[in-house]
Amino acid sequence: MLSGSKEAIGRFVKWGTLLLLVCLALAYPWLFPNPYLRFVGVMTVMYMGLATSWNLMAGNTGYVSLGHSAFFGVGAYFTGIMIVRFDMPPFAMVAAAGVFVGLFAIVIGWLALRTRDASFVIVTLALVYIMLLLAQGWRGLTGGSSGLSLPRMEGIGREDAHVPFYFAFLILLAVVLFTTWWIGRSKFGMGLVAIRGDEDKAAALGVNTDLYKLIAFVLSAGFTGIGGGIYVYWFSYIEPFFVFSITIGVNMILMALLGGTRSLFGPALGALLLVPGTQYLIGEYGSTQLHVVLTGLLLGAIVMVLPMGIIPSLRSAAAHLWSASSGASSAATCTESDEVAEGVGR
Amino acid sequence: MTYFSTYSLSRSFGGVRAVNDATVEIEQGKISALIGPNGSGKTTFFNLVTGMITADAGKVLFKGSSIGGLKPHQVALRGVGRTFQITRLFREMTVLENMLVPVRRFGVRELLKDAVGGSEAARAMLWLDRVGLTKLQGEPAANLSYGQQKLLELASLMMSEPELVLLDEPAGGVNPVMIQRISGLVRELNSEGTTFFIVEHNMPLVMDLCDHVVVFDAGIPIAKGTPDVIRDDPKVIEAYLGG
Amino acid sequence: MSSHLLLQAVVLGVLTGGVYSLWSAGLTLIFGVMRVVNIAHAAFLVLSAYLSWFAYTELGIDPLLSLFATVPAFFVVGVLIQRLLLARLRDHVTMMSVLLTTALAITIEGSLGMLWTGSHRGIEISYSTSSFSLAGISFPSDQVIGFVLAALTFFALFMLLRHSRYGKALRATIQNPDAASLLGIKTTTIQGIGFGLGLATAAVGGLILGLIHPFFPATHWAWIARIMAIIVLGGLGSVTGAALAALLMGVIESVVLVTLSPVWAGMIFYLVLAGTLVFRPHGFFGGRLAERF
Repeated sequence: MLSGSKEAIGRFVKWGTLLLLVCLALAYPWLFPNPYLRFVGVMTVMYMGLATSWNLMAGNTGYVSLGHSAFFGVGAYFTGIMIVRFDMPPFAMVAAAGVFVGLFAIVIGWLALRTRDASFVIVTLALVYIMLLLAQGWRGLTGGSSGLSLPRMEGIGREDAHVPFYFAFLILLAVVLFTTWWIGRSKFGMGLVAIRGDEDKAAALGVNTDLYKLIAFVLSAGFTGIGGGIYVYWFSYIEPFFVFSITIGVNMILMALLGGTRSLFGPALGALLLVPGTQYLIGEYGSTQLHVVLTGLLLGAIVMVLPMGIIPSLRSAAAHLWSASSGASSAATCTESDEVAEGVGR
Repeated sequence: MTYFSTYSLSRSFGGVRAVNDATVEIEQGKISALIGPNGSGKTTFFNLVTGMITADAGKVLFKGSSIGGLKPHQVALRGVGRTFQITRLFREMTVLENMLVPVRRFGVRELLKDAVGGSEAARAMLWLDRVGLTKLQGEPAANLSYGQQKLLELASLMMSEPELVLLDEPAGGVNPVMIQRISGLVRELNSEGTTFFIVEHNMPLVMDLCDHVVVFDAGIPIAKGTPDVIRDDPKVIEAYLGG
Repeated sequence: MSSHLLLQAVVLGVLTGGVYSLWSAGLTLIFGVMRVVNIAHAAFLVLSAYLSWFAYTELGIDPLLSLFATVPAFFVVGVLIQRLLLARLRDHVTMMSVLLTTALAITIEGSLGMLWTGSHRGIEISYSTSSFSLAGISFPSDQVIGFVLAALTFFALFMLLRHSRYGKALRATIQNPDAASLLGIKTTTIQGIGFGLGLATAAVGGLILGLIHPFFPATHWAWIARIMAIIVLGGLGSVTGAALAALLMGVIESVVLVTLSPVWAGMIFYLVLAGTLVFRPHGFFGGRLAERF
């Protein structure tokens, strides 16, 4: 009885918090109409979506991609080129970028996932440099090192220039979160998490590990590509060295890790905590590379000290407190009695 | 038609013939055992049959069609399930989640359906209930005792509704009480129609549980027959006692 | 395409390939001995280049002399990184070590940027900027010095791995860590020394980098991507494989450079990487060790 009402309260608090956060997110551009704060808002929501996209692969399967900036960049270039060279409707091209990058990721994923673990990391890292070389070399299409300038969005005041992009990224974030949530509950998601635990065992239980990994990778890359598409239309300019650098990908990793790769909202939380801080650092000390050092140190510290990230760590700490306060948990008692029966077995 | 058979199955590792020209048959609905001294290639044989490693030569037939050369997940989807010598579970996942991993049929709708709250979970709870792990459904699998892990591994395998189950040392490292539980479960499942092929060192258990025994020595099947026949076969005694 | 130009390209390719050999040997050694993909390897190369550059321009120490300080220092740093950081990782070690070494790379990159800004640097010493010719083929001094240094270091490493007691223990550890520890080999010590050796080669390799190429803090990413492609081609964990693959890639790169374009010369590394993964996912020279990776 008691636990039933506790559960109801818990559910109420959970949904209430979620609703409040959604309202805050929707109202943000008018709560803080200052253009700089709006800019930081767009950046934050962008990275919330990107980090969650990255985690779709890494959080589920345990495969760490170092090169997600490549997918971001390909999405951005695809959208930019379609708008500039072929005069296509911008937001339709943003969606098309997702499909294009997804198809691209099928090829890359097929290559990268042929062997386990290490080669995947290496291929994703190399991918960034392949794309950098392509973007620099294929001048006729990409504009080479001088980059590509896009027409700005028409019919919108300077004051409100960030607002449509804020909402575009917010929609992306919502879609990625929903997809992650859905997968997390599905049979498919169970298979993915099993892959992280023990790939051979998962295969022995009928999980088509190669296909599962590829699908997760393609979804993760596709969403990242959409992010790149929105980004290029927002910034109106793209050049190879910015998008095809390791930095954007590493930012996604850092945020996802900080918040917690094992939780739905972890990566988004990580982005929410880090982006404003990073923007401040770049604003104040941008020329000194201090933000790079701090990024490195923070990443190292998380790996060594808090590998689970904030949300799962808090959750397990809470579970500890809970079980301590409610005496020996039923699970523990049950394990114990079985252990007695087994005795010599261990 | 033989239910399950291998024909001249072979595999060497760096010049050592782990499985050598193995021709083995087992019958539907029976409990068969695969025994032999340590290092006689029993686990390698299971690995070959389930596609975990590829054979150098030979055939594997299941219900009249070849399953040799298939990938592990394809073998599993054909209805051949297996457990591992040293229990392998998804240690970070809960007991219930472990039950939800196995795939019965491959299909988009199947994979996208709600595993945590739907009919899958209900089916899983029935199995957990049957093996007595209901109360532990929310525990990480790593927290289970070794015997409980064996039970969970078998129960989760049954979620994929295999027709033929290969058990690699189901009684290894567990106490007599737990051995009774496991063998009782095997007998029950067998009476419900599941065929078993079991690698086991516990001879009393093998003699008690199995209808048919295959003996391996140095990767070669040297004898087969009912437990009584095997017990008195001089080649088997030689393989175990001799050199 | 004249045959003379082609020959020149091959010679330059061998010189470059020799340097790649040293860079890749250290990286693949580290992978072999503890299954760690050291993303920071090229960052250590660049760090060593900066240290030699600083010692030369600010303190007037000949870069070759500065090796007597950087090599032991890098060795110690390597042992410490392994013992204090990598050895403490518990779960999902391969991926967590990737993240940890990425963090190291970024920290080094950022620190170099803070100390010496993002400008391009280069080590220009009197005897390295000339060139001499032999039978009509030109040999740039810096590349020859680099090649000789790389060859000597590689040879020393190779002899150590082949013929010392440590080398035997190390190879045993590479082949099967569990069996090695059963035989009484202290695998953690071996791994620490392995990482130290890997970084010690990076100290020499970094000096060569600084002699031949301009560098700035973020250059290491482009280099690490290339050497990664090389060690996959050579079979992850195989030192000889990496050396052969590196020589091959040096020559291919150089020939593509004169026949096609610089873009293709860069691209060829990744095309070869892709080709390797399609046809021989475990590399061409790797053998059994690399089977599971």
